[in-house]
Amino acid sequence: MRFAAIKTIYENALKNKNVYFLTGDLGHFGEKEFAEKIPHQYHNVGIAEQNMVGIAAGLALTGKKIFAYSIVPFVTLRCLEQIKNDVCYQNLDVTLIGVGGGLIYGPYGNTHCSIEDVAVMRALPNMKVVCPANAPETEQIIKQLMKIKGPTYVRIGRGKEPMPATSYTVSFGKGKIINKGTDIVIFSTGTILEEAQKLVQMLTDAGISTELINLHTVKPIDKNLILKKIRTRRAIFTIEEASLIGGLGSAVAEIVSESSKRNLVFKRFGVNDLYLKEIGDQNYLRKKHHLSAETIYPVIIDKIT
Amino acid sequence: MTVAKIKAVAREIRKHVIEMAYNAGGAHIGCSLSVVDVLACLYFNTLNIKPKLPHWKERDYFILSKGHACSALYATLAERGFFSPALLKRYMKNGSPIAGHVTLDSLPGIEATTGSLGHGLSLGTGIALSLKNDNKNSKVYVLVGDGEMEEGSVWEAVMFGGHNKINRLILIIDNNDLQIIGKSTAIMHSHPFEEKLESFGWKTVSINGHNINEIIDACKQTGREKPLAIIAKTIKGKGISFMENKLEWHGKSLTRDDYEKAIGELNKIP
Repeated sequence: MRFAAIKTIYENALKNKNVYFLTGDLGHFGEKEFAEKIPHQYHNVGIAEQNMVGIAAGLALTGKKIFAYSIVPFVTLRCLEQIKNDVCYQNLDVTLIGVGGGLIYGPYGNTHCSIEDVAVMRALPNMKVVCPANAPETEQIIKQLMKIKGPTYVRIGRGKEPMPATSYTVSFGKGKIINKGTDIVIFSTGTILEEAQKLVQMLTDAGISTELINLHTVKPIDKNLILKKIRTRRAIFTIEEASLIGGLGSAVAEIVSESSKRNLVFKRFGVNDLYLKEIGDQNYLRKKHHLSAETIYPVIIDKIT
Repeated sequence: MTVAKIKAVAREIRKHVIEMAYNAGGAHIGCSLSVVDVLACLYFNTLNIKPKLPHWKERDYFILSKGHACSALYATLAERGFFSPALLKRYMKNGSPIAGHVTLDSLPGIEATTGSLGHGLSLGTGIALSLKNDNKNSKVYVLVGDGEMEEGSVWEAVMFGGHNKINRLILIIDNNDLQIIGKSTAIMHSHPFEEKLESFGWKTVSINGHNINEIIDACKQTGREKPLAIIAKTIKGKGISFMENKLEWHGKSLTRDDYEKAIGELNKIP
């Protein structure tokens, strides 16, 4: 996903001299060619993320289109006030690209994990939030963002996400139906889509017609699609590799709770509101947070039977 | 414009600042008065601008990073002809876009939103980088407070500007040595700025920030290889005898007597 992101930005920067890429000294994926071929559009600002976002906003004030890149915590929370005041309050054309969304940096500890970012970015007026699930989605979303102005946060994985079995297209702001079903629906965002797909297979095998919808765009959320599913399905579940507070689950819950539908089964699956004292890889931590297909499956069965 | 005329403009700007603070019923005063002479020199001598074309592409930029001193900027823009001085009456009023901190698009001539300290130099650096890459001759002036130099983000931008030789970036430090609770040199000794900035690759010039000739001359000293920092020694509350160097006038409400006394003092200036 990192390679897809930087490559897509580079290809567009070659065609448009107003497209800039800033990095807080992160990225080893083709940036050498980027820096050599179009040095004015590639800037390693050093390990100084507050300044990176301020510079991004300053460049955008002159009409440039900026992509600023670092590991999620450093390009979101470290420079949060610059994102609020400089980018969002001024409503500037700056896209923040956070690598390593969720638990993928688990072995490195919670400093490098990111469970709070989706909620925090979602709370900022003018900010758009997109969590692609894999490299092709990342490429498509970044291509689409070339034609969409304003503050955006793109939360990507780290590179081990499986490629989709069959290719499909995604559109910014629109939910993507990955698996058709008529009984219950699961909304997923980000790289945990692979886990959601395993879960759908298990539910389907158990005779439950399960629809899987990829809500890569968490803000603006595809409200019409969610309302349609509220009306036509008996159970809704959300899955995300982010805090249960404020992310996709909260966004869907806000729509569910304000709808007039009664007797709807609804449950969110996400990262619990705590910092684990133990470390582990992404799969290990998903199990610990009850976010693996195997741990979610019995909970869903219990809720719908 | 002659020195005498710039001094007369500065007097008018100070009168606006006092009137705006009085009308608002409480605003930042002392910190606004300390930057007036620098603003008058920039807008009436240094900056290459067209007030009737605020988005003119070849213009110089000015960012007031210490955004709480905004009344001085608004008054300067009005005096320079960006908009009618009548608009100044809406400063900090209900339903008005003209906030107590500088806000983009609230008035013609404003280049960036500031208010939280430590943001302006990075914003100015981004603008300057863009101008440099596009081979424009425009310059970017950023005014920060000496207390603001305690913000770490300022030094991130200082480091970037020196390393990348952003030669069209000019940092002006409003060095009045007073912040909210006391003297800056007593609270957090970020001075002296000259040696620190020079070690980061900046050229520095130290001046009296109320001397029109010195300000104008310093603004011309941009070089080819380095960004320029002007350390302007100023007096908080400058121009009003009972406010000068008085901590409480950072942001205190003016009584009717205070207001009349202040305007009276300014009216005596030729």
